[in-house]
Amino acid sequence: MIRTIVGLIIVLALSAIVISSISDYSVPSQLLGAGRFYTERGVDDTGSVNLVTAVVVAYRGLDTLGEVVVLFCASTAVVLILTLIPIGANPTPPSSIVAFTAGVLPGAIVLFGIYIITHGHLSPGGGFPGGAVVASAFLLVMLGSNTIPGKSKFLASIESLAGLTFGLLGFWGMLTLGQFLNNLVLPAGSPGRILSAGIIPIISLAIGAKVASELSGIFASYRKAGGEE
Amino acid sequence: MNISLLAAASIGTGVMMLVAAVAALVVKKLISAIIIVGFVSLSASVLFLLMDAPDVAITEASIGAAISTVIFLWGRGKIGGEE
Amino acid sequence: MTAETMFYWSLAVTALGLVLIGIWGVLTKKNILRIALAFTLADTGVNLILVWSGFLPGRSAPIVDSSVTSMVDPLPQALVLTSIVIGVAVAALFVVVGVLAARKSGSADVRRMKELRW
Repeated sequence: MIRTIVGLIIVLALSAIVISSISDYSVPSQLLGAGRFYTERGVDDTGSVNLVTAVVVAYRGLDTLGEVVVLFCASTAVVLILTLIPIGANPTPPSSIVAFTAGVLPGAIVLFGIYIITHGHLSPGGGFPGGAVVASAFLLVMLGSNTIPGKSKFLASIESLAGLTFGLLGFWGMLTLGQFLNNLVLPAGSPGRILSAGIIPIISLAIGAKVASELSGIFASYRKAGGEE
Repeated sequence: MNISLLAAASIGTGVMMLVAAVAALVVKKLISAIIIVGFVSLSASVLFLLMDAPDVAITEASIGAAISTVIFLWGRGKIGGEE
Repeated sequence: MTAETMFYWSLAVTALGLVLIGIWGVLTKKNILRIALAFTLADTGVNLILVWSGFLPGRSAPIVDSSVTSMVDPLPQALVLTSIVIGVAVAALFVVVGVLAARKSGSADVRRMKELRW
């Protein structure tokens, strides 16, 4: 009881601080600073129609590389901690609905994920959501089978290859144009075409493969540690 | 789109989200709380769409609503229900 | 109050409310998974605030087209894109550590977890 009251008091104090700090905030009428720079120069600089992908992959590519490293550390930690929990028994067999769906849908889901990844510079999407969609197809396959996934060299090599591609493309830009991850080492092409925007589609593929393989690795180690007890 | 329609959509979704967020914390069964948090994530992706952020909306819908729900369901299976 | 003002501020109120509800849950709940859920709620709220900070009503999404003249700020959206993925990775780690702690102490109640006392 006292815990609830103290929590409520702290939250009310926080909300008072927040309200007093935003009370004189007014709606901005135009973009300033970095946002203005990106919206004015984005297409000419990168050739990517989708400016969010341009910022994620080209302008702030180094941040994205660091983010992928964070994801890698988290998934490694999950797998490491789960080895402390003994491997569970074979999971209960899936119901017929799940088994049938897992036989039919994953192909279409993977195709949709690849579409999201490869069209990241043209329409909403990119490596992160596409990789998550591919990983959810993997999850569906795993839920549809009643065996425990074994060790997978394939997932690990895909993950390493994607990370290596990302880093090497960055160094390519550094060697030829003097900037890490400069995306114009390949021609920018005409904006709006699928083969345009320099190395953005390749890096999107690398990010997608990395996210998909890491989330799949997390799911596989979850499955190994068993579900209901 | 009509601005008053947008306002109605954002206010409706926002009220729904806040009610659902409180419900997720006070509801008795843990599995209901997990499903409600997945619903809050899905509503958040609607709000991202209203804020002209389709990239973020698609990411939130696929990651926040689907994958984190699966993660919490696994954790519930390992720990068991509420105290 | 015009419809545009209501639209703009209702988004901010929702986001801030979500953060506050999440903090309240982290402070007051006892089940470790419930705390992780509250943490996810606060995370969603922070992402909403970040996207809202780059949002200007009446503009279009940051995808360049010949018919588009003005658009919203793409920078917060790009940062939130990475933030969501990191958020789910952190939640996965949170749940795994919580499961391990619950197995060690025999209960999901954080008050019984002596290893977490300080």
